[in-house]
Amino acid sequence: MSATLARLYPESLPLCQLPAGESARVQALSGETAFCQRLRELGFGERTFVTKISGRGPFICVVNGCRLALSHDAAACILVEPTGLRK
Amino acid sequence: MSAPSPAPAAPRSAPVYALVGNPNCGKSTLFNALTGLKQKVGNYPGVTVERKVGTAYTQHGQPLTLIDLPGAYSLAARSPDEAVTRDVLLGRRADTPTPDRIICIADATNLERNLYLVHQILDLGRPVILVLNMMDLAAQAGLTVRADHLSRELGIPVIPCEAAHGKGLIELKLALSRPDLPLPRHAWDIPAALAPAVSELQASLSAQDGKAPLVARAEALLLLTDPDPVRVAGSTPLSAATARILESWKQRWSSDGTDCSGTLVAARYDAIGRLARETIVPPATGAHPTAADATLALSDRIDAVATHPVWGWVIFASIMATMFLGIFTLAGIPMGWIESLMGWLGDHVSALLPPGDFHDLVIDGALAGIGGVIIFLPQILILFFFIGLLESTGYMARAAFIMDRVMSRVGLNGKSFIPLLSSYACAIPGIMAARTIEEPKDRLATILVAPFMSCSARLPVYLLLIAALVSSNEVPLGTQVGLMLLMYFLGTAGAFAFAWLFKKTLLRGAPPLMIMELPPYRLPRLRDVAWQMWERGAVFVKRAGTVILALSIVLWFLANFPKPPAVAEGEPPVDALAHSFAGRAGHAIEPLIAPLGFDWRIGIGLIQSFAAREVFNSSMGVIFAVEESDDEAATQAHLRDALRTAVRPDGTPLFTPLVCLSLMVFYVFAMQCISTIAVVKRETAGWKWPLFQLAYMTGTAWLACFILYQVGRALGF
Ligand SMILES: Nc1nc2c(ncn2[C@@H]2O[C@H](COP(=O)(O)OP(=O)(O)O)[C@@H](O)[C@H]2O)c(=O)[nH]1
Ligand SMILES: [Mg+2]
Repeated sequence: MSATLARLYPESLPLCQLPAGESARVQALSGETAFCQRLRELGFGERTFVTKISGRGPFICVVNGCRLALSHDAAACILVEPTGLRK
Repeated sequence: MSAPSPAPAAPRSAPVYALVGNPNCGKSTLFNALTGLKQKVGNYPGVTVERKVGTAYTQHGQPLTLIDLPGAYSLAARSPDEAVTRDVLLGRRADTPTPDRIICIADATNLERNLYLVHQILDLGRPVILVLNMMDLAAQAGLTVRADHLSRELGIPVIPCEAAHGKGLIELKLALSRPDLPLPRHAWDIPAALAPAVSELQASLSAQDGKAPLVARAEALLLLTDPDPVRVAGSTPLSAATARILESWKQRWSSDGTDCSGTLVAARYDAIGRLARETIVPPATGAHPTAADATLALSDRIDAVATHPVWGWVIFASIMATMFLGIFTLAGIPMGWIESLMGWLGDHVSALLPPGDFHDLVIDGALAGIGGVIIFLPQILILFFFIGLLESTGYMARAAFIMDRVMSRVGLNGKSFIPLLSSYACAIPGIMAARTIEEPKDRLATILVAPFMSCSARLPVYLLLIAALVSSNEVPLGTQVGLMLLMYFLGTAGAFAFAWLFKKTLLRGAPPLMIMELPPYRLPRLRDVAWQMWERGAVFVKRAGTVILALSIVLWFLANFPKPPAVAEGEPPVDALAHSFAGRAGHAIEPLIAPLGFDWRIGIGLIQSFAAREVFNSSMGVIFAVEESDDEAATQAHLRDALRTAVRPDGTPLFTPLVCLSLMVFYVFAMQCISTIAVVKRETAGWKWPLFQLAYMTGTAWLACFILYQVGRALGF
């Protein structure tokens, strides 16, 4: 996660660090443009709510009712802000 | 495009419809329901992406051509699969007619995400029919789907459907027969920051690339989100003028910090989000629409076990074990039938033809060659039965998920698992399955190592050599299984080691970022599984009847010509085999393979194995003049005994245990399959990678055998 993004969103953490079972809201995407674009096209763009189901990498997340598997490196590209809601 | 698109006025006998949708939305199910048996499976020339075309009928009996396109999430392609879908829809492929009308399928339980692709397709300015599939699941989840509202908003027919249960098909066929499908009435605002670029690109695309105005607009939008378009063989490139305009806009945006792709996707999602909210009415009680979905809740419970760090592996290992047991035990019975059938055929044809070269060509060349390959049909069918089962239940994605951790150690991701798994049966479907891998370098690495997985063609060779290796007539089960597992392990380890090496050196890239949809678990539909087995089987049989047949005839010729010169009475006869092209080739490579413990006769077997590895067995049979008997077991025993008694010129036995072992290791690592080379060439669009693969794999085999044989000799074996 780039330092600038971390400064812009001090409350946030990469999705890979979100505890399992918690919900969060996507703040920013970093990393390869093509990958970010695919995330957005899958409905995983900024401001989306995401719930992490399983903890150890790779992770399973729910976005819009759809289960997506993300590898650890992929989850590290997604900066989220926990909403404090548990599933 | 070099030529302007054909005028739409010319009436064609059967209109062409394309079927598009996200992966797992029920496309194939609908395709099968509409076309029944009237379908043809092939490949798009130049890429190993499957192309399915069928004939369907409208409700009024008019025939129409239906193309089942590969599943895609977006027209901005990330894999060769998606690139084909994009190129067919945009009329970029010369080998496929541009569809006249498009049937979009969307999963009603996940409408918003599915509408993204639909939204892109509506831009194309072609008549679209939208099918909302999985209505039963949507109803179960308590969702009310207002299809009529969506239809009014988009200005196209929207048809609720349950493809798996045949519901909604009549309504769909009625829509297909409408002669006057309206063009989508579909407005969305291109973000102001990008509008000038879109119009400039659009103008250039219609002037320079000969695109129709609406297609030009759609392509212009696509170019902005398709930054490094996956170009596949057979698609026409962009004109230089348009490419320049695109480049200059990109530079401008990168200097002023505009994220053009992000802006575009967000603008689409704004439009889609509104549509989806108006179309789908969530259940009244639950605050969150998806929370009510019982199927998903069950799926999550299964996943808690199936993707568990411990139980997940236990389940995975048991499924794999069952599958391999099935392939290697169950298949034995039908393989016996095929064997007797081929034997019966051989006897009858043999009786019909007068003795002579033609007789030998048909029996020893053509029939033996085809028989040697067709025999693996049961194993291939069983493999595809399991793969079909795993796919249609949704487990396959979980297997890839579990394997991701292992694969990421060597720099690949979980998606490479399925190609490697298929390669245990045959590298060809394995290499074809690699087409879903997005990252070109990961895809290439997977293709390069896939043939290391011991395919079923190596199995008979291992079995013969293990039998020749042990001295007793009954091979102890422990030895056989142990040696067999060792060979499978060696191949698998080689594949992982080389994948790691390639990803560290030649194909260095960022760590793969895997994102993969996990479809909900579903009960398998056996009819669809059977379909897939049938399709794969047909492709396999067709290959045996064409490529393998031709190769077998060539090999037979090489082993039988030129004929030895006639010798006078009393002189020792000239060895016909040694005199043939194959014999000479065997002699020619003998210096190269002698350090591995092989002589020229084994050399002939190695060369002939290039047609198909299992040809080694029949070639040993010919060389060591084993009498064929009706009983296959007896023939095998003869062959084994012949190998045991074969000697070198100095009288020492040829097939010592060490030589047998060395030969097996050679078969594990060497690239000895012309069909695989041909597929890799097609897949990587050139000779570079298949030749590299041939060299590095065979080099590895040589080195491994050299070390094994020389060390073994030094230790006194
Ligand atoms: N419940 C339900 N399942 C369906 C329906 N249509 C398809 N399926 C199932 O969805 C799965 C994926 O379908 P498939 O046709 O292979 O999807 P494709 O990837 O788009 O070709 C299969 O297991 C089908 O049996 C439907 O209308 N209702
Ligand atoms: Mg399909």
